[in-house]
Amino acid sequence: MTDERILLDPTAELIPATRTLSKRHRSLSDKTIGLLNISKPRGEIFLDRLEQKLTEKGIQVLRYSKPTFTKPAPIDLRNEIATKCDAVIEALAD
Amino acid sequence: MHDIDDMEKRGIPSVMVASAPFEEAAQTQVDALGLDISRIFVPHPIQDRTDEEMREMVDLVFDELLDTLIE
Amino acid sequence: MTVDPGWIDQLKSKFDKEEFRSRQVELPTQEDTHEAMFERSWTDGLPVVPPTPQRVRRMLEGTSRDADEIVVLVPPNLVECTVEKIAVNAVMAGCKPEFLPVVIAALEAICTEEFNMHGVLATTMSVGPIFVVNGPIADEIGMNSEINVLGHGNRANSTIGRAVQLVILNVGGGGPGGVDRSTFGHMGKQGFCFSENEVSSPWPSVAETRGFEPSQNVVTAFTGEGPRLVVDQKSRTPESLTLNLAAHLISTVSSRMVAGMDAMLVLSPEHSSRYEEAGWSKERFLEEITSMMMVDTDSIIAGAGGIEEGLPEAFRGVQLPKFRPNGLIIAQAGGPAGLFSAIIGGWLNGPTGSEPTSKEILF
Repeated sequence: MTDERILLDPTAELIPATRTLSKRHRSLSDKTIGLLNISKPRGEIFLDRLEQKLTEKGIQVLRYSKPTFTKPAPIDLRNEIATKCDAVIEALAD
Repeated sequence: MHDIDDMEKRGIPSVMVASAPFEEAAQTQVDALGLDISRIFVPHPIQDRTDEEMREMVDLVFDELLDTLIE
Repeated sequence: MTVDPGWIDQLKSKFDKEEFRSRQVELPTQEDTHEAMFERSWTDGLPVVPPTPQRVRRMLEGTSRDADEIVVLVPPNLVECTVEKIAVNAVMAGCKPEFLPVVIAALEAICTEEFNMHGVLATTMSVGPIFVVNGPIADEIGMNSEINVLGHGNRANSTIGRAVQLVILNVGGGGPGGVDRSTFGHMGKQGFCFSENEVSSPWPSVAETRGFEPSQNVVTAFTGEGPRLVVDQKSRTPESLTLNLAAHLISTVSSRMVAGMDAMLVLSPEHSSRYEEAGWSKERFLEEITSMMMVDTDSIIAGAGGIEEGLPEAFRGVQLPKFRPNGLIIAQAGGPAGLFSAIIGGWLNGPTGSEPTSKEILF
């Protein structure tokens, strides 16, 4: 099989070939942040405090948990988060 | 980290929080995914912490955490 | 073992990392190649062939031109584009190496002041570049000029226009939502290229009409909409058929506009044969149809017939031709059965719009 890991860039090469992070927000006020619990023990306490601090700053918080930390979140859950949240914090891997 | 990668693909700024020993594993994953995912590390260990210590951990990284989501 | 300098040079060029000027992108192990190309916005929305060094090397064998030669400045960003960069995009479009000279000539045609590709991209009207290929190369590379000629199914027809559009997108930086502001677009913007049926056609080809010899390989670029069908299964005389074609052509782009837009008429073999049987030349046809498309401006002045779109008052009381001289391009192609022809509406012509542009294909 042909090795297709190395490709020649078809563009004008004005931007880096690596992927870049999505555009960051100018400010988080009036934004909704999704807190995604990866479902490891102790994560809940960490996220509770995080929610408290975010709410104090006037940031809306929505809480989510994935069924297991061993696998990526189910597609339905990711779709829901993507529809409702402007930013996501995932915690807490140890 | 696949969750974060997926959110970033959808244009949603995202960050992961993990404990310090995860740093190297995360870097390997970042190289494999080809995306320099935002990540914040807190001191290890986690499982033996008191609730109060867990809350202090949040206070410690809170500003840094928000900085990864804004310009 | 002999030390032959020529051999060393060959090895050097073979293994020299500087063989390509284009950046080599090494994909991370967990990234799917096809997804990675979509992620990087390298595609037109359909999957592309991964442009590996081997494939690009093979593609470059399709031309004798130097890979480093800068062929065109690609709009809208006016980026210098080399033969190699075109080859990379031609691989992605699915071209065979022998299509490359056509892709290069097509780009040479549209990346000109007269064709005004930037304007074609930026307009909100639903047009894109359309390419007609003439000369022996069309058959040599297996182009289709017959059944489904304006549709899908033939590799050369489908990929040559696509390669050009990928260059505009990837090198020029002109994509939908960016500089491309088209309200609707059309499916032909994925790549619209066909060849004329020069064997069964009674008339000189598009290229010959534009001053080239039949032996020359030529690509002609025209800015146009998607094709629409004209059905005429009853006309037995050239007069009747021409009147009917004129009645359809007159509504091209807008029935309230004259002279500002060109059109292409693709005559099917069965319609062409009506003219061949009657002994009409192409000149005769154009003369007759032009006289049938004189528009009484009173009928299209703004407000006439209750329609607010139309010409300003100052144009009242004259007869104007629907198309400027040479504004109607006749191509002959299509399947052997079907008493139909196809009309491809154009866009603004002249210095502010886009001029049909022909280039000889060089190997």
